[in-house]
Amino acid sequence: MFQAKRLVLAHFWVAFIAFFGALVLGAWQMYVRSPLSTWVQNPEHYYRSVTAHGTVMAYVLPTLVAMGFGYAITELALKKPLIGVKWAWAGFWLVIGGTLMAAATMALGKASVLYTFYPPMLASPFYYFGVVLVVVGSWIWVALMSINLRAWKKEHPGESVPLAMYGNVAGAYLWAWTSLGAAIEVLVLILPASLGLTDTINAGLARVFFSWTLHAIVYFWLMPTYIVFYTIVPRAIGGRLYSDTMGRVAFALFLVFSMPIGIHHLFADPQVGAGFKFVHAVMTAMVSIPTFLTVFTIVASAEIAARLRGGTGAFGWVKALPWSNPWMLALTFSFIMLGFGGAGGLINMSYQLNETIHNTQWVTGHFHLIFAGAIVIMYFMAAYELWPQLTGCAPISPRLIKAQAWLWFIGMMVLTLPWHLVGLLGMPRRMAYYDYSNPELAPQAWTVTMSAIGGFILLASGALLIYTLATASRRRAPAVEPFTFSRAAHPGGRTPVALNGLGLWVAMMIALTLVNYGYPIAQLASLKEASVPVIPIGSR
Amino acid sequence: MKEPGTFGWSNPLVRWSVLGLVALSIVSMLVGFLWLPSVQGDYAAQGLWASICRAAGVPGDWSRGAKARQAPTATNVVLERSMANEGANDAIGRGATLALNCTMCHGAQGMSLSNAPNLAGQYPEVVIKQLRDYQSGKRSSAIMQALTAKLSDRDISDLAAYYAYLPKARTAPTTYDESLPVLVRVGAPLRNVAPCVSCHGGIDQKLGAPWIEGMPKDYIVQQLKAFRSGTRRNDGEAQMRNVARSMTDAEIADVASFYARKAP
Repeated sequence: MFQAKRLVLAHFWVAFIAFFGALVLGAWQMYVRSPLSTWVQNPEHYYRSVTAHGTVMAYVLPTLVAMGFGYAITELALKKPLIGVKWAWAGFWLVIGGTLMAAATMALGKASVLYTFYPPMLASPFYYFGVVLVVVGSWIWVALMSINLRAWKKEHPGESVPLAMYGNVAGAYLWAWTSLGAAIEVLVLILPASLGLTDTINAGLARVFFSWTLHAIVYFWLMPTYIVFYTIVPRAIGGRLYSDTMGRVAFALFLVFSMPIGIHHLFADPQVGAGFKFVHAVMTAMVSIPTFLTVFTIVASAEIAARLRGGTGAFGWVKALPWSNPWMLALTFSFIMLGFGGAGGLINMSYQLNETIHNTQWVTGHFHLIFAGAIVIMYFMAAYELWPQLTGCAPISPRLIKAQAWLWFIGMMVLTLPWHLVGLLGMPRRMAYYDYSNPELAPQAWTVTMSAIGGFILLASGALLIYTLATASRRRAPAVEPFTFSRAAHPGGRTPVALNGLGLWVAMMIALTLVNYGYPIAQLASLKEASVPVIPIGSR
Repeated sequence: MKEPGTFGWSNPLVRWSVLGLVALSIVSMLVGFLWLPSVQGDYAAQGLWASICRAAGVPGDWSRGAKARQAPTATNVVLERSMANEGANDAIGRGATLALNCTMCHGAQGMSLSNAPNLAGQYPEVVIKQLRDYQSGKRSSAIMQALTAKLSDRDISDLAAYYAYLPKARTAPTTYDESLPVLVRVGAPLRNVAPCVSCHGGIDQKLGAPWIEGMPKDYIVQQLKAFRSGTRRNDGEAQMRNVARSMTDAEIADVASFYARKAP
């Protein structure tokens, strides 16, 4: 790498330290509502903690990882120094400033509104300013990714954009467009009310705007993981990427279909018409296509690795996979969690099935499996892989990596499978306590204990991550091997022009958003009766 | 041969992507806005266009033609945040003069020596709402209805400003531990009883919820029983009636003793 080493390192460190703090809160939350502890004496403390956990895990961690990883990819894939390093630092400090501002407000109990904001509840304006700063800082990253790609294309006319950079910029554009919904919600609806300029808020419209961000943000979190799947995993397990084009198709399809589908979060909201709910459900189903394409391509890439190692037969090659390689382990864990979480997701997105599990612990289980499981485990792996490049340390001990990945996988399964079960039985989410003395709830008490145990296993895994990264530089490498991305099975193939740029897909993303969101937004915005009195939190 | 550009229609990838997306959108809209509504009786009842509008989420007028029956309302007062504002000095002064009428029961400084509620430090919107409810008959009391009948809106807001200005009655300092009655601290989730402290101060203080620390015990007991039996019904969303409905006499006494206990 050239000049982004400290920059990338700073992003990863802040991300993981904030992550560890939020992990402590998460484990505490599970403990206090389990039968292991008495009821939390002040439920507001619980919601304060949930708000901080969600804000860090949903905004701070993935944004910083995507930014840091994006800067690293820019230098490693384009093989040239990052343009705009000073701007990148400015973006970083904006994110830090925003995080601290939001954290202080949350700690004071002035912002216990959960990270999804939930108007008409209102937090102190400083909480929203903090979140806005985080997002604005990330917009600088979006601009830099675009500028760097353009500069590279100018210098390399007609050449294929490296796949890692293609996915990286796709993720940046996706984030730019998807963060707009929450940005409009905060700037136009929430902040005027939070600052006391109005005392009513159009809560239905605010929820629709948030849904604009709420689902696609998941794919922004996912992008770094998919980039790792396509461009690092095949090389790390000793194989080839089965198809470079398939990767581009998957990134392009995510761009188009991840965005205009958020109303499936509002299936129980009366202010949105059933027709739009159905259309959004259909588009949500379309997201399974790039997901399946990816699973197919990566499994095929693993098969190449196995056959290169002498594996034979229709399924016999599975035995020849490099099972002692931490990457193989992490990939397997990630796919198992993606499989369970994805199957649960199909239920969430189905208009009718959703009724059964709407707002239950099932939902919490689902997004923890997908995001905190399948996605975040690859954030760890990306950090392990980049660490020697960033710090000049020797490659990180495979034993430590495997121990951490095992703990994370087991912890996540023990945490989330009981949630799925009790979600089906109807246990609501976001409860500060449950009355286990009631004979109807008593039989479910053990599941919450299980989840609390899972939470502590995850905490141990998080501690091991921090320990591993912090102590890595004790072992210096005599020479750091240059970083490589995975090579395609058929290198040098021609890349279709539409898949070498993002213009078409961004245009389709915007057009589809207008079709799917235009009318609901216009209609709700024009409804005078839709405004409700605000409920400031912690104001007295 | 040069490949057509990203937006070139002659590029088959572009063409099929765009056509595919358009086709998918149209088909899903046809299903969502025409087919599915057509098999639902209440969607299809008023014809095709009405069913499309309903599927799109256009607010409909359900009771068109038929006169909707007016449900009994608990209160005519709409709580607004502006009611909670501090009063100006002249309002407080005028309120203090008017409040001389109230001292017989509510005490010279708003601290009741009988079993009437304390008003010292009461939130202004609470006083406004209760006085207006007495005026309109939504809350009944032979004495208060007669005394409030002639009050103007300004009288009411000045009285509220005066009482809000007085220092609040306090009980012994409280910590959030097991010594608090369960209903005060965590409520009873399975009986749908919210904890007292989530509205009446402690965790949160909701607009329109009175300050009840230091209230005479008999007054709290009497009001909770009135909410329980439904003889008092001026809580806008029936929130107190729902809470009190499943409370036992012992629980009412327990909660009331907690809020009424005097600082040592």
